[in-house]
Amino acid sequence: MSNASNKTNAVIAANRFGLGAKPGDLEQAEKNPQKWLTAQLTPVTFTQDLPGSNDLFQQLSDYQAIKKQNKKNNVSADKDKKDNKKRSRFIQTTYRQVATDAFVQSINSDNSLAWRLLDFFSNHFSVSANGPVMTVIAATLEREAIAENLFNRFEDMLLAVSKHPAMLIYLNNERSFGVKSRLAKSSKNSKNKRKAKKTIGLNENLAREILELHTLGVSAGYSQEDVIELAKGITGWSVANPVKDDAVGFKYRSWGKEPGNRVLLGKTYKQKGINQGEAMLKDLANHPTTAKFVCTKLVKHFISDKPEPQLIDILVKRWQKTGGNIKEVMLALIHAEQAWLPARQKFKTPREFVQSSYRALQVKEVNFKTLFFSLNSFGQQPFQAGSPAGYSDEQQDWDGANALMAKIDWTAMQVRKYSANAENVINQTLALQPTEHTYKSVVRAESRRQALVLTLLSPEFLRR
Amino acid sequence: MTINKQRRQIVKMMGASLVLLQTPVLAAMNNKDKKPAKIVWVVLRGAMDSLHTIVPTQDTSYSSLRPKLARAFKQPLLPLNREFSLNPALVNLHQMYLQKQLLPIVAVGSGYPKRSHFDGQDYLESGLQTMDHDTGWLGRAMEQLQTNSKGIAVANSMPISMRSTDKVSTWYPSRLKDADENVYEALMDLYQDDELLLSRLQEGLNTQAMAGNETVKRRGKFVDLAKSCGRLLASDNGTDCAMLEVGGWDTHNNQDLRLTRQLGDLDKGIAALKDELGDYWQNTLVMVATEFGRTAKENGTGGTDHGTGSAMFIAGGGIKGGQVLGQWPGLKTEQLFNGRDLMPTSNTFSWVGAMLQQHWQLSDRQIIKVFPQHKAYKQMLLS
Repeated sequence: MSNASNKTNAVIAANRFGLGAKPGDLEQAEKNPQKWLTAQLTPVTFTQDLPGSNDLFQQLSDYQAIKKQNKKNNVSADKDKKDNKKRSRFIQTTYRQVATDAFVQSINSDNSLAWRLLDFFSNHFSVSANGPVMTVIAATLEREAIAENLFNRFEDMLLAVSKHPAMLIYLNNERSFGVKSRLAKSSKNSKNKRKAKKTIGLNENLAREILELHTLGVSAGYSQEDVIELAKGITGWSVANPVKDDAVGFKYRSWGKEPGNRVLLGKTYKQKGINQGEAMLKDLANHPTTAKFVCTKLVKHFISDKPEPQLIDILVKRWQKTGGNIKEVMLALIHAEQAWLPARQKFKTPREFVQSSYRALQVKEVNFKTLFFSLNSFGQQPFQAGSPAGYSDEQQDWDGANALMAKIDWTAMQVRKYSANAENVINQTLALQPTEHTYKSVVRAESRRQALVLTLLSPEFLRR
Repeated sequence: MTINKQRRQIVKMMGASLVLLQTPVLAAMNNKDKKPAKIVWVVLRGAMDSLHTIVPTQDTSYSSLRPKLARAFKQPLLPLNREFSLNPALVNLHQMYLQKQLLPIVAVGSGYPKRSHFDGQDYLESGLQTMDHDTGWLGRAMEQLQTNSKGIAVANSMPISMRSTDKVSTWYPSRLKDADENVYEALMDLYQDDELLLSRLQEGLNTQAMAGNETVKRRGKFVDLAKSCGRLLASDNGTDCAMLEVGGWDTHNNQDLRLTRQLGDLDKGIAALKDELGDYWQNTLVMVATEFGRTAKENGTGGTDHGTGSAMFIAGGGIKGGQVLGQWPGLKTEQLFNGRDLMPTSNTFSWVGAMLQQHWQLSDRQIIKVFPQHKAYKQMLLS
């Protein structure tokens, strides 16, 4: 590649693939943009001393114990209120800290491509922070199940996610038990029949979303029967109760498993126990339709809402050749010519706009207030999509007039807080790429601050 | 501060050391019932067009250089003296002038030789010949004060003017969103080739307009900031100076309309500042300046382009107001700077230096520390 095109490609590498350039990034990228990106396919790391989901369950359980104790001891309403307050503070603080940590790491990262990929899969396997338990653990799913498998095979990620307490609780599988399971049988004989009837039964929620959102996609042609079969296959996939089970984390409850063979998409699964569900998920992860579905989503996310079928094919082929190895698929994307078309084909997502702005302004620390305020003003607070489908990844859903006005307000606010030389920011994030009109508008702005606003809101910075 | 309280403080200080008697601040405080001497520094970012603000009605070249702009005023001009009139939007400033509380100074320049907004503003704020972003003249002036002086910038980050001292802090209304009309105008221009963004922006602005101006337009308005600034200064917590900034003066097009709005805001803001200051107004000095002026000739889009000489305003309850200062250089081609801009005949920093010397009693040696390259004018500006 010539020097000029290397510069162009360095900008594409930083903006289209990564979370935007920090000062110095483009010089590094320019040497060999594809190599620069390849080197970013390395694990993402979080702040070590934040609690994981196991700790959090233990702590939640401790608060529960206090509550019980209070009730038993008939303590004053005041103390009970205080303890409740403590618990909600713990819940909110954890959620904010964990979600903010990922964001802060991403704006400081040298492997922002990996962070973007994490955000992509975190949204693919979206969970929402609704209710106390989900609020406390929603943000741990991406750290524990997704980040760990970011460059493994997709089946590894799918299995880890499907066994993570956040997903099991969010989509109600932790109490999904077979009607023919040992549990059901024993409770039938139980004296307390009303209780038994109430709690025991199948919940299709997780199985449905695995098929519809996580693997095959909604239009893949599976049937309601398939949903039920998968749901039965993963009965008993549950979450340990720290008190009753004296354990935390994923818990397979064999007594809740629906016995017998399962038939999913025409294939019979004769496995027993947890193996059955695992085998079903593995097949789903490696199904050609899943390859097509996830690869299409990836190309749409990174490149364009109207992706070139050829480009999708390149990714799908690599997926099938490597058993759905995500790193390999990303390498295929990095090395595909069609991914490097000079035209900017898509707006950054709201989150990416904030991330890239902070990277450009060299903001290294962001507290949760600023972060939540920022993302909230664009309607995309972390882990608040409110649907297992996650936030829309299509530009038309977040490029509206309101969104632009919010961006203008937000940017005007940020440049009052963080100053930077607009010309430097342009050179460091867009290099030679802004049009002459943008460049002139910026250098002729009436103040440094306005110049910076125009830089961050320029068509070139808003798109990638 | 009540008089008694002030006396008590003076007595306390005298007890501390007799040497203090010589200090300028004490001299100022000793001066009968005067409130402490305060300074408000207002920077107009974007280069205010002085000829459309302080109109040289008697200069015959004026209307030939600006055939459209000279006739654009919708209201009668507000006369200052035989030579000059104020833009009709400056109603309150005109009243101050009549009460001898306003000093317009024409044909001033900071000495900044080029026409870049950024550098020009930095230059105006630093007050140094060679740019140093870490130190500003107001910050250096505060360092000369012997008191526990305090300064406040109504901004989210410290403007250059106040840098180089740790006696300053920033304040900005936290909930205020401050994308102002200038940003929208600049974005309109920026998006001219981008159909999608342009249509979104227009749609957004229409919605805002329909939603009612009260909530939207009042965000970050100068009048609100000035009011808060006045309140801060009058709260008697020992704040000696404050800085305000207003953008939106880069009027390359549609100048009359835009300046009517801009000057109206400035005018209301200064009036609000005065109101909030109450008794403090008597001993407060407001200085308003801009980075440079604009072309003497109007351009093809009803505006003016970057120029050189401009104007400044000094306001306050204790000044020798009611006169127009500065020597008028004339607008004939040969009288213009580079044949295009108003020629500066006096220096912004020399005026500011004079103000600091008389208002804060800074000595010549102290002034040198504030403005190494500029001497303070000796003309008496305070009454």
